[in-house]
Amino acid sequence: MPYAPEHDEIPNPLRPGLRADSAPEPCAVVIFGASGDLAHRKLVPALYNLAVGAHLPAAFGIVGVSKSAYSHDEFAQDMREAVGRFSRTRPIDPEIWQDFAAGIRYVAGSFDDPDTFARLRAQLEELDRTRSTRSNRLYYFATPPSTFPTLLKQLKAAGMINSPFDTRFTRVVIEKPFGRDLPSARALNRLVLETCDERQVFRIDHYLGKETVQNLLVFRFANSIFEPIWNRRYVDQVQITAGEDLGIEGRGRYYEEAGILRDMIQNHVLQLVCLSALEPPVSFDADSVRDEKIKVLRAIETFDTPEQVARNVVLGQYAPGSVAGADVPGYQQEKEVAKGSRTPTFVAIRLNIRSWRWDGVPFYIRSGKRMPKRATEIAVHFRPVPHPLFGEGTTQPNVLIVRVQPEEGIALRFSAKVPGERFRPRTVSMDFRYGTTFAAASPEAYERLLLDAMRGDQTLFTRKDEVEAAWRIVGNILKVTESSEFPPPYPYPAGTWGPAAADELLAQDRRVWRRL
Amino acid sequence: MEETVSDAYGEPISAGATPHSGELTVQFDKGVDLARIESLLRQARERGGPSPETVSTLNLVSIHFSAAQYEKAREALEVAGTLHPCRLIALIADQGIEQESLTARISVVRSGGAITMERVVLSATGRAVRHLESGMMGLLRPDLPMVVVWGGRPQGDLLRRVVESADRIITDSGARPPSYLAETATLLVKGAPIGDLAWARIFPWQSLAADTLDVPDLREHRGNVRRARVVCAGAVGAEGLLLLGWLQSRIKRLEVEIHAEGEAEEEASSSMPVPRAARLGLGHVKLLEFVAPPATFTLRREKGVLISQVKGDDDGFCAHRTRLPPEMPGRLLALELKLLSGRDELYAQAVQAAAKLLAART
Repeated sequence: MPYAPEHDEIPNPLRPGLRADSAPEPCAVVIFGASGDLAHRKLVPALYNLAVGAHLPAAFGIVGVSKSAYSHDEFAQDMREAVGRFSRTRPIDPEIWQDFAAGIRYVAGSFDDPDTFARLRAQLEELDRTRSTRSNRLYYFATPPSTFPTLLKQLKAAGMINSPFDTRFTRVVIEKPFGRDLPSARALNRLVLETCDERQVFRIDHYLGKETVQNLLVFRFANSIFEPIWNRRYVDQVQITAGEDLGIEGRGRYYEEAGILRDMIQNHVLQLVCLSALEPPVSFDADSVRDEKIKVLRAIETFDTPEQVARNVVLGQYAPGSVAGADVPGYQQEKEVAKGSRTPTFVAIRLNIRSWRWDGVPFYIRSGKRMPKRATEIAVHFRPVPHPLFGEGTTQPNVLIVRVQPEEGIALRFSAKVPGERFRPRTVSMDFRYGTTFAAASPEAYERLLLDAMRGDQTLFTRKDEVEAAWRIVGNILKVTESSEFPPPYPYPAGTWGPAAADELLAQDRRVWRRL
Repeated sequence: MEETVSDAYGEPISAGATPHSGELTVQFDKGVDLARIESLLRQARERGGPSPETVSTLNLVSIHFSAAQYEKAREALEVAGTLHPCRLIALIADQGIEQESLTARISVVRSGGAITMERVVLSATGRAVRHLESGMMGLLRPDLPMVVVWGGRPQGDLLRRVVESADRIITDSGARPPSYLAETATLLVKGAPIGDLAWARIFPWQSLAADTLDVPDLREHRGNVRRARVVCAGAVGAEGLLLLGWLQSRIKRLEVEIHAEGEAEEEASSSMPVPRAARLGLGHVKLLEFVAPPATFTLRREKGVLISQVKGDDDGFCAHRTRLPPEMPGRLLALELKLLSGRDELYAQAVQAAAKLLAART
């Protein structure tokens, strides 16, 4: 949350017109769950890369907190190894690392123990003195959701959360999943907002940190040619795919609790739906953009009965199969997965957005593990031409594809005449690839999001009402599909695009999934 | 002011040269055969396989008055041109050689699966230099903005039309004597869309100065800045004057002072594996101080880090540090290419103020 200026405060005379981004204010980032995978693979490498790019304030520190026993130096060494393995920029620059590591501290302890927080507080005060972090705090909860209430209560009890009107900022970054259904999300929101102000809460969805996801907003609202056709009059259907070739990668316990609906749909995929479908925001500030996203979520028809769910939702679970030439086990053969598990690893859903712009245009979304390849994209299928001038079936409808990963970019499929005497159309693709057009390396999603959180910019973070609206959609599906009366997920061989029932979902509408 | 007028100011747009493998060369007897160049471009594109994608966001035209000058700039142009995909047309007008000749060297730069730069180097000697301008005009990709990188000195009317028709002209006043800023000020008044690498060089100083006045406990000093002082390395340079000019244009009734101290840093070894901040070149800024009684804000450069310190504030001493960005060939040019047309008003105001400062000193 940006510092709230007093009404008579003189504006900064040096700020207007500057082309260089401002560095965030000095601050300390506290990572709860510092010995975990997220801190090693993403957070600390992202912070290091921000240091490499000169985006961090030099008055900066990191405090890791977890149960594991480390000294400050051991933790710094552990982080160095993590950066060496997972950083986008390598090799490590010794000079930058030295400066970066000088601000790394570690506090070992249980989150239940008030003494952990007393020691954390002392450690942060030490950083304020030695690194001039000026009592600004960014708390990052890289921990399971079950720990969030404890962390918030302990931070509050230790007096470590400042008022949103204090000149010294306190911000809390919360990782997904934010709750496991609507009641738990509401309870968590209540708890969070008893401790902090909404302006201090940064609910992270790393998909929103991806350049291509942000580019979707630029693509839609910085080009005048697409907006007039971006509606039910010209769009036939929208297909959103978020597929992974990986399985659950040893996270059986987590996945058994979550499943694909909680893991992907409630957050990442519904965010893609929102960005594809939202109306132009009145301005590009956090609340204006989020206001428009929430309108989309509220306009999505929910499935209130088992019949509606059965008609519009297909669940799947991967069986043994082959991905990229390698045999892989089925979901039920994975570690820490119960035999006879009913947890879905695939879902296909037909959504309708009841709005002036979209009503009647189906949004088909599918997401799954152990797909043939990793692919996340939004495909906007336009209506076919009204009259087949060049012969029945000779032209395909136009499709605009926004590839989120990999090969981030945008492609437009259209018909062109094959050279020769006769008018023979052929579908061709005009392709814009992000990585080759702008040769500059894109920052990792976490780099952008951490920097925004340090700057207090909430545009790419989800708001309380947004989270709850997404849970309202997914929660209704879960209520039905998690009851024992609902049939178990359809098995599909690993390395395929889900069960045949997913194809039938579209076949009912005389459509097919885009071949990826 | 220490008037050290020398070619050693600042740095060239880049240093070093790269091998010229893969270039297709053609020599013309009469004028420039545009169709032949386009045909060679097609040939160069197809060398990498069937139907490679070509992306372009601008026409980048660089002007040089000797082959050596172009070689110095080559790597920077390539890097910046790859970051901002373009058709690069490098014009080398060497009138020092009497014999008339006109050649074109054609190549493409690939990045990933696409061609991100089409490069045409048109070199002319003797009287053939008169053909460069029309040749360049015929090679522009339609509809795209044209940015001219003016690395040399003007020589009469030669290539003036190129410069006048540009959407943006990028110079480096840090590579020239500071008095050149007065000329830039005159051109800016006439509306010339000038960009300047020396201006991009001081972005971190501007940013840190603004950040320091954004610190909540220090905001009370915003309306009270009275004096500013800049210290340059070795000699007063354009960067220091621009920094002071910027402050003067932003803060009313600001008393300013500029002088030089110490020496510039030696050229760094080129074998460093990790890019470092640019060296402190001749005329570059090493210290900025501004006073808002009773507080004194000091921003100084220590190797690759800028440090700001505040003394005399009621709330006591406070420090703020920011790392200078790693320097790579073409970085500053790539920064300036983010603005493809029009004038940077902040720069224009800073140059006017810097020119007045220069006039007052002389």
